[in-house]
Order: sequence, then C-alpha cells, then structure tokens
Amino acid sequence: MQRLAARLRLRTVIRVVTPLLLIVVLGGCLIPPTPETTQAKDIFSLYTIVFVMGAIVFFGVEGMIVWSIIRYRRRDDRLPDQLHGNTLLEIVWTAIPTIIVLALFVISTITLTQIDAKSSNPAVTIEVDAFQWQWTFHYLDNDNDPSNDYSVTGTAADPPVMGLPTGQPVKLILHSQDVIHSFYVPHFLIKRDVIPFPAGQQDNTLEFTITEAGTYAGQCAEFCGDLHSKMTFSVQAMAPADFATWLADAKAGNTPAPSVSPPANATTVNITAEQIAFDTSTLEAPAGQAFVIHFVNKDTVQHNVAIYDASGKALFTGEIIGQGSIDYQVPALAAGDYHFQCDVHPTIMFGTLTAK
Amino acid sequence: MATTTLSPRTDSYRRSWVLDWLTTVDHKKIGIMYIVNSFLFFFLAGILALVVRSELAVPGLQFLDERTYNEAFTMHGTIMIFLFVVPVLAGFANYIVPLQLGAPDMAFPRINALSFWLLPLGGGLILSGYLFGGAAAEGWTGYAPLSGPNYSSGPGTDLWLIGLMLVGTASILGSINFIATIFKMRAPGMTLFRMPIFVWTVLVTATLILLATPVLTAGLIALFIDRNYGGSFFEPATGGNPILWQHIFWFFGHPEVYIVILPAMGVVSEVIPTFSRKPLFGYRAFVFATISIGLLSFSVWAHHMFTTGVVFLPFFSFMTALIAVPTGVKMFNWIATMFRGSISFTTAMLFAVGFLAMFLIGGISGVMMAEAPIDFHLQDTYFAVAHLHYVFFGGSVMGVFAATYYWFPKMFGRRLNERLGKVHFWLMIIGFNVTFFPMHMLGIQGMPRRIADYSPDAGWTVLNFIATLGAFMIALSILPFLVNIVATFINGERVGDDPWEGNTLEWATSSPPPAYNFDRIPPIRSERPVFDLRHKHDREHLAAEAAMTTVEEQA
Repeated sequence: MQRLAARLRLRTVIRVVTPLLLIVVLGGCLIPPTPETTQAKDIFSLYTIVFVMGAIVFFGVEGMIVWSIIRYRRRDDRLPDQLHGNTLLEIVWTAIPTIIVLALFVISTITLTQIDAKSSNPAVTIEVDAFQWQWTFHYLDNDNDPSNDYSVTGTAADPPVMGLPTGQPVKLILHSQDVIHSFYVPHFLIKRDVIPFPAGQQDNTLEFTITEAGTYAGQCAEFCGDLHSKMTFSVQAMAPADFATWLADAKAGNTPAPSVSPPANATTVNITAEQIAFDTSTLEAPAGQAFVIHFVNKDTVQHNVAIYDASGKALFTGEIIGQGSIDYQVPALAAGDYHFQCDVHPTIMFGTLTAK
Repeated sequence: MATTTLSPRTDSYRRSWVLDWLTTVDHKKIGIMYIVNSFLFFFLAGILALVVRSELAVPGLQFLDERTYNEAFTMHGTIMIFLFVVPVLAGFANYIVPLQLGAPDMAFPRINALSFWLLPLGGGLILSGYLFGGAAAEGWTGYAPLSGPNYSSGPGTDLWLIGLMLVGTASILGSINFIATIFKMRAPGMTLFRMPIFVWTVLVTATLILLATPVLTAGLIALFIDRNYGGSFFEPATGGNPILWQHIFWFFGHPEVYIVILPAMGVVSEVIPTFSRKPLFGYRAFVFATISIGLLSFSVWAHHMFTTGVVFLPFFSFMTALIAVPTGVKMFNWIATMFRGSISFTTAMLFAVGFLAMFLIGGISGVMMAEAPIDFHLQDTYFAVAHLHYVFFGGSVMGVFAATYYWFPKMFGRRLNERLGKVHFWLMIIGFNVTFFPMHMLGIQGMPRRIADYSPDAGWTVLNFIATLGAFMIALSILPFLVNIVATFINGERVGDDPWEGNTLEWATSSPPPAYNFDRIPPIRSERPVFDLRHKHDREHLAAEAAMTTVEEQA
C-alpha cells in the first residue's frame, strides 16, 4: 500500500516535473545571446517583456484548446446545445488582444526611440564596405586624408576583425559595392541592411556603444549570392586605451612594405578574372626567381590571386582589387606545384601553378 | 437563377476519359486536377527541402556546392508557395464553392480551365532553368539587384520571371471567376450572410489576389526589362532603386500570406463545427474578422523591410500587430465552437485542431517580430524561417490535409482510412515540430537564413541536426498518406453522400456529385441548410433544446 502510494507520488512528480523541465529547457533556448551594447540591452528588455506576454498567451490558449477537446469529446449521440454566439463575450475577446497590442506598441516605440538615438560625436567612425563576398572596414579619422587611414579587407579564409573601443559611441557607415548585404552581430541584437542606393541617397548608418570587452562573431544576414555564408567577420571590443594601441599597431602593420623592384628581365604571367572565374586553371612560372603576375579583373566583383603550398600555407597573397588590373611582385618559388586561388571565391576560382 | 432545367444525369456522348479530363470545363474535374497537380509540386518541393536540410545537418559542404544549395532553397520556396499552397486551396475552392452555393458550375467554366492549365506550364518553365545552366538562385523573394542583369546572368532567373507571370495570371483569372461565381451564382435563398464560412474566406482571398497579384506581375515585368532590355527600375548604377523591388514584392507578398491562410481558416471553420456538432460560434464576427484581416493585409508590407532603414517603423509595426486582433477573434471563435460540443476525432478534425495549436505559435512569433526592435535581431534569421513555416505549414498545410480528409468522400464516394490517416497526422505534426521548433532557437542565437554552411564553432550543430531528423520524419509521414489514397481507391469504404453529418450544401447531393451538381436544392433558411433538413422533423429535439435553454437562462 505504501509502495503503491510512493509509486503514485513518483509518477505525479514525474508528470509535473518533466513538462516543467521541458519548458525551462525550451524556454532557456529562446533567450537571445547576452546583449553587449547599450542598445542591445534595451532590445533585450523589450524582448523579455514580449516573450513573457507571448508565453502567457501560448499557455492560455493552448490550454483552452487541449481542455476543450478532452472535456467535450463525443460521449453519446445527444446533440449539444446549438449556441450561435454571445455578443458580450465576443466584445471582450476583441478588446483584450487590442489592449495587448496597444501596450506592446507603446513600449516598443519607446525602445525604438532609445536605440535610434544618434550620437553627435562618435568616438570611432568606420566605413563598412560590403561586396560579394566579404567586407572592408575602413577607419575614418579627422584629417580627410584616406591614404593614412587603417583599412582591412577580409577573405573567406581570413575574415576581417573590427577592433572597437568599449564605452564609447561607434558609428558605422554601411556602403555596398554591389548587391544588398546586411551587417549583423548577434550579440548586439541588431542588424542593418547594407544597400547599394542610387547616387544622391545617403548610405545607412548604425550606431552603438559596446559595454563589455570581448570578441563577437558577425556575418552577412541578407542573402547576397553564391558565397553568402562566407561573409563572416568578428568584432573585437577592448578598453579605449587598448583600442588606441591596437589601431596604431594595425596601421603600422598595414603600411605598404617597401616595394622590391622586380628584376628587369622578370617573367610576366598573365591571368584574367571574368564572370567570377579565372580564364585558366594552370599557370607556369620560372622556379627560383621572382616573377610578376599581371592580373586583370573584368568583374565589378572584387578578386585577387594568392598562392599556397601543399600544406595550405599562404606563400603570396595579392591585394584584392575591383575592376582593373595590377602587377603582383611574387617572390621566388622552389620548383613544384602550388595551389592558387582568388581568396574572395576560393571554392570556385582556383588552379595549379607550376614552377619549373 | 433556375438551378438546372436539364436533368444533370443525361448521358453525354462517349469519348475517351483522357480526352474528357484534358478538355473538361467541369469545376469538379478542374478542382481535382488543381489538387493533384499541386500535390505533385508539393512532393517535388518537399524533396528539395530534404536536400536543403541534408546539407545543413552538420557543418561543412557534404552534398552540394553553394550554387546548387541556393537553387534548391529558391525552388523550394517558389514552388511551395506559388505552385502548392495557393493552387491546392484554389483547387478545393474550385470543387467546393459552387457546391456550397448550390450552383451548377463556376461562372466562367472555360476561363476556369485556362487558369488551371497555366499552372503546370508556369511551374514547368520555372523548373526548366535546371535544363538551361541552372535554375534561379536568388531566393523566392528575388531581391534586386542580386536578381538583376549584373549579378545573376543565365536564363534561370528569366524563366523564373516568366513562369511566375503565368502563375500570377492564372491566379488573377481564377480570382475574377470566384468573385463572379460568389456574387452571381448563389442558389435562391443563399444570401451573403447564409454563405458557408469557407465561401466567405474564398471571396476575401479572391479579392486580395485581384488587388495584389497584378502589382507583382508589374514588378516581374519591370525586372525582366532590367535584365533583358537595359531598363533601370532596380539598378542603382543607372539611377534605379533596389528598395522599389522590395516595396512591390511585399505589397503583393504580404497579402499573399493571407491568400494562403484565409481559405485554410475557412476549411477549419467547416471541419470544427461539423465534428463538434455545433454551429460556428459568432458567424458574423468571423466574417467581419476575415474582411478586416483582408483590409489590414494591405497596410503591413513594409514589416519585411524593418532592417532596410528606409521605412517608417511605428506605422507598419502597429498595423502588423493589429492583425493579431481579428486573428485572435477567430481563434476564440473556434475554441468556443468546440466548447460544450460533442467532438469526434476524425483525421480531418485532428488536422483542424493541429491547425489551431500550430498556427497559434506562428501568430505569437509574428507579433514578436512585428515589434521593430526585436525584428532588428530576428529578421532574416532562422526565427523568421520557423515563423513562416508555423504559418504556412502549421497553418495552411494542416488546413489542406484537413480539407483532403474531409472532402475526399464527397469527391470519390469513399472515405480515406482513418487509422492510416491518424498515423499520417501524428507523424507529420511531431516531425513538423521537431523540424521547425529548434529553428526558433537557432534564429534567436543568430543563425542567418539562406546560408549553405555554418561554422562548427557557432554552436548551431545539434539543433540543425535535430531539424534535419524532423524533416525526414515529415517525409516519412507522407508514405501512409499515399498508401491511404491508393488503398482507398482500390478497396475504400463506401460511405454514402453525407458521412460526417455536414451542414452545408455540398452534402445535399450525391458523392461524387453529378455533372451540374444538384437534382434539386433543399430550402436555404440559414447558414446550415443541410442541418436544417436533417432536423426538419425533429420537433421533439427542438422543444427539448428550447426547454434546456430556458432552464439554463433561469439558472
């Protein structure tokens, strides 16, 4: 008897605890990532309110459905009361959702105003240049001279890092070179589309203030063609002092290396990119001496030529260019076969370079 | 009008059944062809969904390259929406609306045949891209300038555009036909407020199609001009604006959502009263809710564009959330219909209840995304994918299967096997939730939609794997359905003209109905003429009911 009672109690406990546990686990997975900007914290609070209201509606209405179908399942052939409606009830259940919707509208509009507030003087302004299929982050400073600005262009294999200070407002100018992209960092709980507007229309901007130092993954969120999934990047947030050092280092690292003039008799190898393809999948170059790759890009999409050894180590990485041509000065290679590719489109633009 | 002066059972001259079906203008045969054609496209697009889910099961590219993946999800979305959900509901409407109105056929039978035959043609053209160097791969939304001349060369996208123009034309012709039929072909006594709710939802849907689809067609033509004749509607380099495409597309695209959900709501509003043995609670409120959803659907399109930074957020945010009000009214009406009813759990009823339970989730996630700041996070993530599948699949497709099990005996005189039907239902609804519920979580964690691959470090692997398992479970659930159809044709139970004790006029004729539908039509004195007919001599019952009501009122 006691055993039976214990088993019953156990069963009741399981019956109650299992769904509760399930709800907690499922609910826990429905919480956004930790918000890491002041704006994200506002969005997070709004999300929490809306989510809780949604959960109440969910359990309330699903509960009514389940209860109705269990309680009123057909037991006999008697025809139930043929009730056609009830005006008062219908007014009540029109009014309740209306009130909920109005309340949500008020709080979401308040949040919207908060996160859309623009800073008059952002500490850092970056022009984010999106293209098929990567990003260029161009740090703007106040001297109106783009030649000494720090700028980084990512590749699929080596996505760019956006260093940013914490605690200071940051402004991004979102510019697209080709199709529509979207700048999205999940931890910032926000994305904004990067749109190629016609001339005369301002680019979109996005402002935020990061609160915590850390590295946050980001990627393009608007479908933009073949390698959409490769448009990743990361944001590295650090204290303002660290950021200043980081930017200075980055600038120093980025100053073009003193150009080595190629030997007068250097061999020139030609390769052309058109319609997101190279015109050849095999290149030949002399072994043991520096040579020049004359690269012509006929696409508006950006490309480069980079050379890798069998282990995947980059031996030479050409600058990524848009439409136009460039002469790459390639250091001497030992005799053998190498892999070359466009770093922007590594899966569709590649071939073998033979040095002999 | 007089229902018919000829006896509908007059023998016509004999000809081969193939020719008969190919040249028919009978709304019932056309309706069946619509439904069969749509299900074929459904299976095809379902296979494409399996391809997409298989690729996403684990990180890395296992089966496809990026281009093939992009083609697969583009074709999946395009076919599911334009060649399955819309036409399958149009097929049921084709079959059922004239019957429910007591009409002999649609108002324009030949146009009806034309609007059907444009569908396989348009669908074939869309798919034929695969034969000419690759199908369209810009997503079913075909955003410019990705879909423009500079970024998607090749005939796939042109074929997609032409195919959609034809499918759109089919919809427009069909909608004119429905509107004319509903306004001009009703039997004597069938006033507007005695029409079955399914007919009301078809009327509002047809109006939405008539107002929205021409806008899409214009946009498709503009894009075609951009691509082939040097136009610059959407090309920023020459002064065009890619945002214009989004406005045009979504001005059509959001009413489109209601085009596919309203008739499914209509189906549910027929099934739930029948199997609860009660009239629909709040018939008039339901009609007005349907009309207001239709009206509101034209003021919410830009909620698909919150992250573009160029639309006025508070207006579109408010109007979007406002649609929850008439939708909520409907939900309460359905529940109140079941309340104090006498509910039998046939397969059709299970799918209808499945509709309520799943569509509710789609509605809640919709209101969440209607709040612009939340949408900034969730837009274009898997949360949106989850939301739209809870609406399209949890809503419309559940409605389609409810309609299939409910009206199959009317169409063929035989009932689908209930046991196999229940296996189908449970496999499908569990598979559906296993597939799409985890997508909410993926989206909230920040996984963007339409990516062919994701990093193993992103933490999305487990949920993606679960979603893929669910997709195969949905595919598995189709097997008992197909077996059921075949088995029923071979050896199904013959169940007479009115197996469910239905309320509306289609149950007052034989199963299947003869050409021109009715020998005679019962008097129409309410929105439930067949119920009235069944209980005509049931004075005792009426008296008892009156007494019960009085007792209750006194209590």
